[in-house]
Amino acid sequence: MSSVEPGEVRVFAQYDADLTLEADVVVVGSGPTGAVVAKELTDAGKSVVLVEEGPPFVPAEYEFDGGLSMARTMREGGLRTTSGTIMPTMQAVALGGGSLVNSAICNRAPAFVLDRWCSDFELERTTRADLDPHYEAVAKFLGIAVTPENVLGRRNLLFRDGCDALGYDSEPMLRNVRGCRGSGECFTGCRSRAKQSMDISYIPAALRGGARLLTSVRIERVLSEGWRATGVAGRVVKPFTGRPSHQVRIHAKLVVLAAGCTATPVLLQKSGNLANRSGQVGENLQFHPGVAIMGIFPDLVNPRFGATQGYQSRHFLREGFKLETLWAPPAITAVRLPGSGMALKNRLADIPYSAIWDGIATCDRSLGRVRVRRRSMDPILSWKLHSADVPTLAQALWVLAQIFFAAGARTIVPGVHGIAPELHSLEEAEVLRDRPIRATDLVLAGNHVFCTTRMHGDSRLGVVDEMGRCHDFENLYIADTGIFPQCPSVNPMWTGMALAHRSAQQIAQQI
Amino acid sequence: MSLYCRFMLTAILCALALGYAVSRVAIGYPDPRRHYRRLGRGEVALISSAAEAMYPAGGPIPSSGLDADLPDYLERLMTASRLQTRILLHLLFFLVEHGTLLFPTPGRGGMRRFSAQDVEHRVAALDSWADSTLFIRRVVFTSLRAVLTMGYFAHPPVVRRLGLAPLAIEAPICEADLLYPRIGERPESIGKTAADLTPPSEGIPLPQDGPLHPGFTEAGP
Repeated sequence: MSSVEPGEVRVFAQYDADLTLEADVVVVGSGPTGAVVAKELTDAGKSVVLVEEGPPFVPAEYEFDGGLSMARTMREGGLRTTSGTIMPTMQAVALGGGSLVNSAICNRAPAFVLDRWCSDFELERTTRADLDPHYEAVAKFLGIAVTPENVLGRRNLLFRDGCDALGYDSEPMLRNVRGCRGSGECFTGCRSRAKQSMDISYIPAALRGGARLLTSVRIERVLSEGWRATGVAGRVVKPFTGRPSHQVRIHAKLVVLAAGCTATPVLLQKSGNLANRSGQVGENLQFHPGVAIMGIFPDLVNPRFGATQGYQSRHFLREGFKLETLWAPPAITAVRLPGSGMALKNRLADIPYSAIWDGIATCDRSLGRVRVRRRSMDPILSWKLHSADVPTLAQALWVLAQIFFAAGARTIVPGVHGIAPELHSLEEAEVLRDRPIRATDLVLAGNHVFCTTRMHGDSRLGVVDEMGRCHDFENLYIADTGIFPQCPSVNPMWTGMALAHRSAQQIAQQI
Repeated sequence: MSLYCRFMLTAILCALALGYAVSRVAIGYPDPRRHYRRLGRGEVALISSAAEAMYPAGGPIPSSGLDADLPDYLERLMTASRLQTRILLHLLFFLVEHGTLLFPTPGRGGMRRFSAQDVEHRVAALDSWADSTLFIRRVVFTSLRAVLTMGYFAHPPVVRRLGLAPLAIEAPICEADLLYPRIGERPESIGKTAADLTPPSEGIPLPQDGPLHPGFTEAGP
């Protein structure tokens, strides 16, 4: 079997020989941005091959257990961390990429952020007004809508109550979900098929348009001649073990890399340091580091029920952080609780009375780098939380504590080293405001990743232009969040998809 | 001291150190109840003893860490993980088991390997990792607690007791279900056609007292 028909899906069990294909466009990565490009280009009548390293997951494959789910759906088993400041960060390896296991939050980048991008990075067409038509197109296709109140559940509504009591703006999340039932299982796969992850939305649409989909293929090299990309090459890899087998080569008029902010720089560097005359490939790594607090309420919260992340507050965006509700598989939630032995078990019994809320911070000064690991396509991530950004995270914790007590919490579990494991009043929680906190005192997580192939109007300072085209290669585009020039201050998926939508329109005209 | 004496003394010290290292790492562990492909005998002992200390029997959740059979869970987790992850997990278990050499548990016998200590000492050892001023020790503790907690919560009676067991949901059959087979299978195994499609979710909230997922009922899967 050496050809793949338009509209065909190729899965691991079908590869029985080396494979060579030709297409107008090859798209590497089936996450939110790659899926948009693939669908839009097939709609424009182009011949598209979409390549994904991970397998497709159907509901029967979803694991409720957080550990097993991460081991199966995440790169490096979900144990990837940065060095420098040690912080876990995850990247999905599955058809649909992160959309399979994220909580479907959709936020447009604030106008003030996009204005700063334009002024600081010499961009001319990336204001909110420029991007709004692309946001709208994505929203229309995915049915992005406000989370209905009847599936918010008490842990989301308590957040609203706390914000209301303090006069902080808050609102139910916009999400790419149709028919949410409040199972709270976004992170392990939506059994209700309500979340419009790429594997059930954009990718089937691309296949209907004639795209060819290769799953379980790891692209290891971008092929090029002179200043033109000519395709990509890689290997079939076995799901979960990554064991390579047959070779795959795809020749194309144009290559789009949407492998993810940490994978695309590795691919470029492994391809002979491609598209890197600026020296910016793999540089400028940024995250939205996040901190969280668990609150225990006097009455049953039943946190199992409700949209995984259904409510947010953008009240403090200009101060550098955004607040949101959170739920995760119970085991992941329980990991936050301090202590051992019977004390720990007593705290576990509080989980039905608990809610977890988190803050993600804009940390423009905290930078890092993606480097190549020998004999592996996994990256080495070095990143350091800048001391000037730590107070922003500490302030987020303090505001979260205020919201919890305003909502009626009897105890909060701040999870900050050097501070009591449980705080029982706002007065006790003032330690979060008053005590100097170091980066290593915080339990951080950073799953929004940016800037490693940033856009810049000046080809000496950025890897791509504002349409996502590499400055060095007229037929090589990058479409993942690596092209963001700075962190967007809000959840990045919708902005990434809007930019990808815009890139696809240009590509359709170019070839 | 002659060169020969110094050589012999060094050799004897090395032999003693090697003998101690071998006996500490490999000797004296009980035989596990079953064969594990991914875990050594010492690791099984470490996981069981840490589980017993972390999640003792009784209290608001009757199941203990031993009831939850955490070695079995870790075996499954490691089987599902890539080599790199497995190496990290082996390293984690080694650090906790033999970290008592560098960070002895307070009290008599505090340098014995973790799994050989009594429960009170093990709890004290875990607390000393958790509260350490050394960031890396806290990371080790958090990692150990994470894998043990995930295993504990994979035990259905635990999540049932807390009211956190997943509910039964009949997944609607959508277009994607006609496109993708289960992992490792061929498309011919899909066995569904357009006639099998069902209406999408209407957004009716899950009933809180609805039936549990079959894998979490008392009858089991």
